[in-house]
Amino acid sequence: MNDTVLHAIRTRRVARALTDAPVGHDQLRAVLDSARYAPHAGNRRLHRYVVATQPSLLRAVRMVSPGMLQRPTAAIVVCVDWEQVHNYGFSPANPGPYIDVGTAAATLLLAAHSIGLGAGPVTSFSRTALATILKLPAGVRPELIVCLGHAATEQPPAMRRQGGPGWDDLIQWERG
Amino acid sequence: MTAETEDESVRVLDEGGAVELLAYLVTAARTQVDEAAEYAPMRLLTAAGRLAEMAEPNASARLRPLLREIRQGCSETAVQAGDPAGYVERLDALCRTVAEYLVRSLGLDGPP
Repeated sequence: MNDTVLHAIRTRRVARALTDAPVGHDQLRAVLDSARYAPHAGNRRLHRYVVATQPSLLRAVRMVSPGMLQRPTAAIVVCVDWEQVHNYGFSPANPGPYIDVGTAAATLLLAAHSIGLGAGPVTSFSRTALATILKLPAGVRPELIVCLGHAATEQPPAMRRQGGPGWDDLIQWERG
Repeated sequence: MTAETEDESVRVLDEGGAVELLAYLVTAARTQVDEAAEYAPMRLLTAAGRLAEMAEPNASARLRPLLREIRQGCSETAVQAGDPAGYVERLDALCRTVAEYLVRSLGLDGPP
């Protein structure tokens, strides 16, 4: 059995500390292109991807993103084109566009890991401030940032919680 | 003023650093509206840690140990649920350290 993909899934970690080393253009392109292959319901192309590599732009992005602990040398901002979502006929309560942000993010993170980059998702940021900084068109809202770089040797500890259910407790087999 | 003087009035933060913290605090206020309550102390501690990191290079010799303690005491990934009792104890210890610095630096432990 070829377990290359499973191995990549199991060894991927969120990189919360990154070095100053830049991400190569080809590496960035490879990560970015992976999102094309993410499972998006209906292949509707309702998402937009904004790439930031300029240090001053990345600094501004980090300033308005309290959840961004790392200092990335590149970032991909996954956005939803809400005007297109509306035109497509989705109701505002439909979770589909958010679900597809998640599948895109998982794919981007795994792609980064597969080529040796460190990566971490950030959702704690001001949508309004980030849209302004990135000069996004009206109706396009940033929903998730994938930070990219080279993982530092020392990482902050992972977030730990006491108690709570075990993994198997979260799984239901067949009817409950 | 850039040099340490008798009254320890030293400029420890440049405008760029101040703007960075300002942006962090304002946007954290907004994101906190939608985030779990346990993130609030974590965000404040991150701000304290960043302020300490920015201030340390220009801080007086008297202040530097406090800044180091704050940075070491501010784990950016610790949340209360990880160790509820220990979390509060560490915060109290940090508060005590800050208060002890204030007592010393403001000369409060001498005669009134």
